[in-house]
Amino acid sequence: MKEALSLVQRISAHPDSCCWFVSWSPNGALLASCGGDKAVRIWGREGDSWICKTVLQDGHQRTVRKVAWSPCGNYLASASFDATTCIWKKKNDDFESLTVLEGHENEVKCVAWAPSGNLLATCSRDKSVWVWEVDEDEEYECVTVLNAHTQDVKHVAWHPKKELLASASYDNNICIYKEEDDDWECQATLQGHTSTVWSLCFDASGERMASCSDDRTVKIWKECPSENGQGNLSWKCVCTLSGYHGRTVYDVAWCELTGALATACGDDAVRVFKEDVTASPDEPVFSLVAQETKAHSEDANCVSWNPKEAGLLASCSDNGEIVIWRFKEEELD
Amino acid sequence: MASHFSGVLQLTDLDDFITPSQECVKPVKVEKKKGKSVAKIQIEDDGSYVQVNQDGGKQKLERAKITLNDCLACSGCITSAESVLITQQSHEELLKVLRNNKTKETEQKTVVVSVSPQSRASLAAHYNLSSSEAGRKLTSFLKGLGVHHVFDTSFSRTFSLLESQREFVDRFSRKQQDSKAVPMLTSACPGWICYAEKTHGDYILPYISTTRSPQQMMGSLVKSYFAEQQGLSPQQIYHVAVMPCFDKKLEASRSDFYLSKAETREVDCVITSGEVQKMLEEQNVSLSDVEPAALDTMFSSVCGDEFLSHAGSGSGGYLQHVFTYAAKQLFGEEVKELTYKTLRNKDFQEVRLEKDGAVLLCFASTYGFRNIQNLVQKLKRGKSPYHFVEVMACPSGCLNGGGQVRPSSSQNQKELLQQVEELYRAERPLLPENDTRVAELYESWLHTLGAERAKELLHTQFHAVEKMTNGLTIKW
Repeated sequence: MKEALSLVQRISAHPDSCCWFVSWSPNGALLASCGGDKAVRIWGREGDSWICKTVLQDGHQRTVRKVAWSPCGNYLASASFDATTCIWKKKNDDFESLTVLEGHENEVKCVAWAPSGNLLATCSRDKSVWVWEVDEDEEYECVTVLNAHTQDVKHVAWHPKKELLASASYDNNICIYKEEDDDWECQATLQGHTSTVWSLCFDASGERMASCSDDRTVKIWKECPSENGQGNLSWKCVCTLSGYHGRTVYDVAWCELTGALATACGDDAVRVFKEDVTASPDEPVFSLVAQETKAHSEDANCVSWNPKEAGLLASCSDNGEIVIWRFKEEELD
Repeated sequence: MASHFSGVLQLTDLDDFITPSQECVKPVKVEKKKGKSVAKIQIEDDGSYVQVNQDGGKQKLERAKITLNDCLACSGCITSAESVLITQQSHEELLKVLRNNKTKETEQKTVVVSVSPQSRASLAAHYNLSSSEAGRKLTSFLKGLGVHHVFDTSFSRTFSLLESQREFVDRFSRKQQDSKAVPMLTSACPGWICYAEKTHGDYILPYISTTRSPQQMMGSLVKSYFAEQQGLSPQQIYHVAVMPCFDKKLEASRSDFYLSKAETREVDCVITSGEVQKMLEEQNVSLSDVEPAALDTMFSSVCGDEFLSHAGSGSGGYLQHVFTYAAKQLFGEEVKELTYKTLRNKDFQEVRLEKDGAVLLCFASTYGFRNIQNLVQKLKRGKSPYHFVEVMACPSGCLNGGGQVRPSSSQNQKELLQQVEELYRAERPLLPENDTRVAELYESWLHTLGAERAKELLHTQFHAVEKMTNGLTIKW
């Protein structure tokens, strides 16, 4: 099993600082990283190795917590503890700052683009989730401010096919939002984790969602018709992965190509789980297929699957490093 | 307990898991008394602190108190101040004053209750009455409890509208010299004001209309004109406002509305429509069963036993009135009907006055935090096309205020709001200029006081709250 994750490259990406998050461009050619050095770095492949192509500096006054690519790959959004979100536009091989989204009261924790590319979601320690709309003139306007959480909101993620938004919070809950009539509404609150929910992601179909938490578990949620039959969907926890993680699970990523589920954990490890295809979809079974216990020398903060090259995985850590891995399933004898 | 404040307020720097006692950063003023330097402090069985001097003498120590005013002047926590607020402004307080009046010979207070038309409509919807019926029955109920006068804030709103109209025309005429003369942003919504003061400070405040809100106009009328008429000191009057909004409690507590000489607030207590319903329930009374009473006409906008209202939005109709007045005054245009164009959503509307293809006036109403946010950002980027904006913190405005009666279990929020809106609109509108009682007061009262004093009574001011940057407020 140890052979399943092999090291491609170890990069000192944000030296003397930490690397919070990495994100692959939609075509898989570039990797964006961000960190405590207030910078965003763009990495590209040259020959066999990954090198830094560009550094986006001076956009933020404090730590850059997350980065997100627009679905077209021409824009990059960075969320910072300085309470702003920066939108960068790709020009040839460089990026220029297009606009700064202000409004959050304090630290912006995450930013995510909707599949259409017209909507952007941000969340903050101010407990709110905002949705922004982009018009043809590249102007951003706030369409809603959602106050469904009672604490710091850590992460936001869009459904891959519908305009449905999910958020994870320090209040241990997950909220699902949808536009109703004239405004967005919280449609469901998912309770189950017993501590901070740090991250969440949908699978390729959008029918299931994985969440990870300070309670050291990963939960799999499945969309199901609501009991009151009012057309709203509800989400049920169909599986809990416990006993694998020694500390807080900071991130979870579901590979669109292989269905493999990767986690980043405060015990410095990166793990990969696979679903047992024979199990019922209402009672899925996941098993640990690869584990790199010393993936990093400090907390692993993030994992991200390359969207085009199956099995290519990036992870990053508090020590400022990015590691590129290749995940290969063991062949059965 | 869930917060009752509007969403805007909830967003301004709050930290609900920290209560004031745990992490209030407001420095407490200590009255230092001269004395011997060494003393012991002893905690008594009842939890009080006692200073034991060297000579053995004991002296009870005062508790450090944080008032709502301290909270408002601070950029630290905000909703945690709710507990402070509740002790000062609740229907319990009103009942206490009424009980005192019955049991004590001294310290008698004249109790005045000013009811907003939005609250009247909300109670009317709940009890299946017309808005005027609800007003008459509420007058009867309150007087039965010992309240002396029941007034109507539509009356004081007439002053707010007249002053807003004049202020706008004045600002518009000096827009060439003063870059912050327009857009004029309305100031009747305390949630919006609190947000602007705490978050956007000096940048936004110059745009905000200095005209007092109907509640605080009534404060001037009651504690100044009415007190004088009745031969009472302002302190001898206990003035309660019934409002659709919880944030109005904060407004009444502002130091700008505290009469320091008389040591009293212009509005002593604000209770919400929902709290009035609670009062009725506590007395086991259904408003529908109460015999109606004649209306107090002194400070009420009435015709016979029917209430009169104002045209335009359910949030006071500021846009409508200022627009019509400005079109006439500035451009000689008689506007009969306004065309509201819905922009991004129903809470963001625009009205324009155009002539020969040129836009003479461009007004907007922005309700709810998302629209306020876009307005503020537009102003910051110099991209606002507006001359006037009616700003309200609540989606759908004041009729949908956080203090309104909640829908019953079988009711849907949207249907209830629609019903409240219909009841509100059923009151016949009166043009502010045509209110002869108000014109009389301008003439007989305000005119004799002089321009400066009149300005104090009809206008207010705003203060930027400095962001705190001391070590205690840093969150890792």
